[in-house]
Parts: sequence; structure tokens; C-alpha cells
Amino acid sequence: MSKSVQNTLSGKVVASAIRRRINILGKNSTISSAISTLIKYKIGGLLVVDEDQSPIGVVSKTNILGAYYASLPLDSPLEHLMTSPALFCQLDDPLEKALGKMKEHQIYRLYVKDPENDSVVGALAYPDIVAILYEYCSRCPQSLFSQTPDSTETGIERSLVADCMTRGIKSVNMDELLYQVVEELTMHHMGAILVIDADGHGRGVISKTDLILAYNHGVSLETPASEMMSVPIRSCRENDMLEEAIRSMIFSDVHRLFVKVPNSEEFSGVFSLTDAARNKSGSCLACTSSRIQITSH
Amino acid sequence: MKTVARDIMDTGFHTISPQTPISEAVKIFKQASGKEGRRIFGMMVLDDSGKLVGMLSMYDILLFMRPKHVHIWGKMDDIDLAGIIDRSCEKAKSIRVGDIMSQEIVTIGPNTHKFMILDIMIKQHIRRLPVVENDKILGIVYISDLFYDVLDRFTDVRPPG
Repeated sequence: MSKSVQNTLSGKVVASAIRRRINILGKNSTISSAISTLIKYKIGGLLVVDEDQSPIGVVSKTNILGAYYASLPLDSPLEHLMTSPALFCQLDDPLEKALGKMKEHQIYRLYVKDPENDSVVGALAYPDIVAILYEYCSRCPQSLFSQTPDSTETGIERSLVADCMTRGIKSVNMDELLYQVVEELTMHHMGAILVIDADGHGRGVISKTDLILAYNHGVSLETPASEMMSVPIRSCRENDMLEEAIRSMIFSDVHRLFVKVPNSEEFSGVFSLTDAARNKSGSCLACTSSRIQITSH
Repeated sequence: MKTVARDIMDTGFHTISPQTPISEAVKIFKQASGKEGRRIFGMMVLDDSGKLVGMLSMYDILLFMRPKHVHIWGKMDDIDLAGIIDRSCEKAKSIRVGDIMSQEIVTIGPNTHKFMILDIMIKQHIRRLPVVENDKILGIVYISDLFYDVLDRFTDVRPPG
């Protein structure tokens, strides 16, 4: 086996990883309209433009959660809650440079401009990067999925969920109210939180998506977590192969899995697509994918 | 000769509530198609006061059902398709019409000329336009109605003399 280390993202430019479909709404569009767009297209944020169609900001699930917490009416205009300005990279930028910018600004999405005419042509987000890394790994002859029962042991050290997961579990009790759930998610910069019963056992999950749906359905912030939580809890184990866990998320449209310790029902942490993007491609240690450092997530 | 929206519009339109669960909406599409004797691909969404608040099309529903990373599937050969549709349906249980409907609606008046309607549909990629007057919904014009109106004109042409 070659000892040379290759980086799966080396030489790749932003154009190879972007999503060409951009979701754009006007600054006077309503919160409800933004929720519909985020839910329908399964995205975390959208671009806000002014009357001249010039980008002026971004609205993410986090912004909408803030609006829910502040009890803003659903027909409030997006300009009241957007984060401004929107941040961009160029179509021909190296992927590594764009990822560096995402890290620097602690954001999960960059919009992409075509340097030829300065028009917005796409968006770059962590789950899409994991998807292309996974695609790369799945084609590799050393991939776990390329191995047959007759394959000879390559000696490659394979990564486990335990190597990349975020350790520690934050939870809320079933009788805690939605506004307390919003506070917990916001305070810890999390996308979802475990809901536990009186014995400390996980009973469900409440994600930002669940909460913006609750907002759109007119559900009171005084509603107990137990009424809004999603079941079952999608999980994996610390000793699961990393690529198995990534595949499970990519093909099930799940952004995170709660991680259980081996041979136990106890949860020890969370493994998300962001963790996967932050650490490596997911298959083995034969090549080093970009290590995207995120200081807060 | 049919020249304006009022002449072409379908007044036997079907509507749906933003509170309706998506699973129920699919059934309503099927029932409406059976009743009309043609496929219904989109419906107007009316709130409790009868106000037009959105449009729901089959496209909206299919967008939601589509797996997010399906664009890389074609390049991969380790896809386990078993259960994927079931999982999508499971996720759709908590979704209502109001969560995925299109809320940026374009409407026309009853006296909008059919070529103006055609222009709006082509430029804005719209296949159906609600006909509204004084906040009251009078009907809906489908792109197929426009097409058959033009087709009728072609087939009705008689040779001179």
C-alpha cells in the first residue's frame, strides 16, 4: 500500500460540490412562506433578495426559531429576521478555501457566484460535501463496500463512529415546554435534542425542523416536549463503521444519529453530517479528506 | 369566440385546507381526478375564511417526498432502496398542506385576455392560474384549457369557398 497521503478534496473546486438549485425569497415574503420552502426542499436556509433581486441576507431555521420564540406573527416579512449580509464564494474557488470561510464565519452554508457575471448560481452546504466525499469513497476499491468475503485483509485501519462523533448528550424532560426546548437548542448550538422520561431513558427527539413545523401549525410554546417529539430515535453505535452510519443518514434524509455505547441502550453522543464533514470522508484512514474544523456547532 | 379568462376558466374547481395532512391531500387529488374525468395536478388552498392562501401541486408533494441526496444515487451502486418510500411516507405524517404549498401566488382577473394568460404561464412556468375578482375566486384556468382552445381553432378551420 502506498504511504503517500492524498486529500480527496485536493484539486476540487466549489463547482463540483454545489447544489445548483438556489431557494430565493423576497425580503417581504412571509415567515410561513420561508418555512414551506425549507420543509419542501429539505434545506437549512434560503437567500433573501431586495426589490432589485440583489441578495441582502439569509434566513435559516435558527432565524425562524428565534421568530417563534419571540412570537412574531407568521406573516412577518423575512427582512425582520434575516442574517445580513449573505456570504459568498466563487464557482472556481478551491473547495478547501470555501470550507475555510465557512469555518471562519461559523456558518453551514455559502452561496456561490459565477465570477463571469457575478450572478448567484448555487449554494454550498456541509451535507452536500459529505455526499460527494461518500461518493468518492464508495468508488474506492479499498472501500468497505467494495470488500467481498474473499477480499484479503488490506491492513487499512477503518474509522468508527466513535472517532468522529460529538460526545455528550443534552436532553430535555418530556414535560418541559417548547420554549425551554428552543432555549436549550439555541444555547448549545444544536440541531436536535433528546427527550427523556423520568427514568432518564430516551423517548424521542425534537429537532429544529419539528419546531418550525410547530410554529407553522400554530402550536403554543407552552406545549410539553412529549407532544411534539419525533419517534423513533434514529441511532447508531459507537463501534459502527463510519461509512455505514453516513450511508444511513444520506439515504434516510437524516442529518444526525444519536450514538449508543456498545452493548447498551445508553446514549453517549451525537453523530451528524456536520461531524462527518468536519472529520473525514468516512471510509478508512488510507487517504485524508479535508478536516473541516468547526469551533462551535 | 373565447377571448378572456372568464370564457376558458373551469368553475368546477376543487379546493383544499392548509390544515389538511399531506396523506389526505393525496386522496383528495385522486378523488377530484375521478370526479372531473381528468388528472388534477394542482389545487387552490383556502383558509377558514375562504381566502386564497396558496396553491398545492403534485410537484410540491413530490419535491417533499424526493430524498435529498438523490442526485448522487445514479453514480452509486450500493443503494438499498428497500424501505426508502416507507420512510418518506412516515416523515410526511406530520406535514400539512400549509407546510409545503406555494405561497407566492399569481392570480388573474376574469377579463384577462387569453394571450396575456399564456404569456404569464410561459414566463413564470405556471400551469394553472386562479381567476379572482374582489377577493372572490371565480374559477381556475389550466394550461390544458388554453391548449385545447387553440387546438379547437386549428381543427375548426374550413377551407375557403
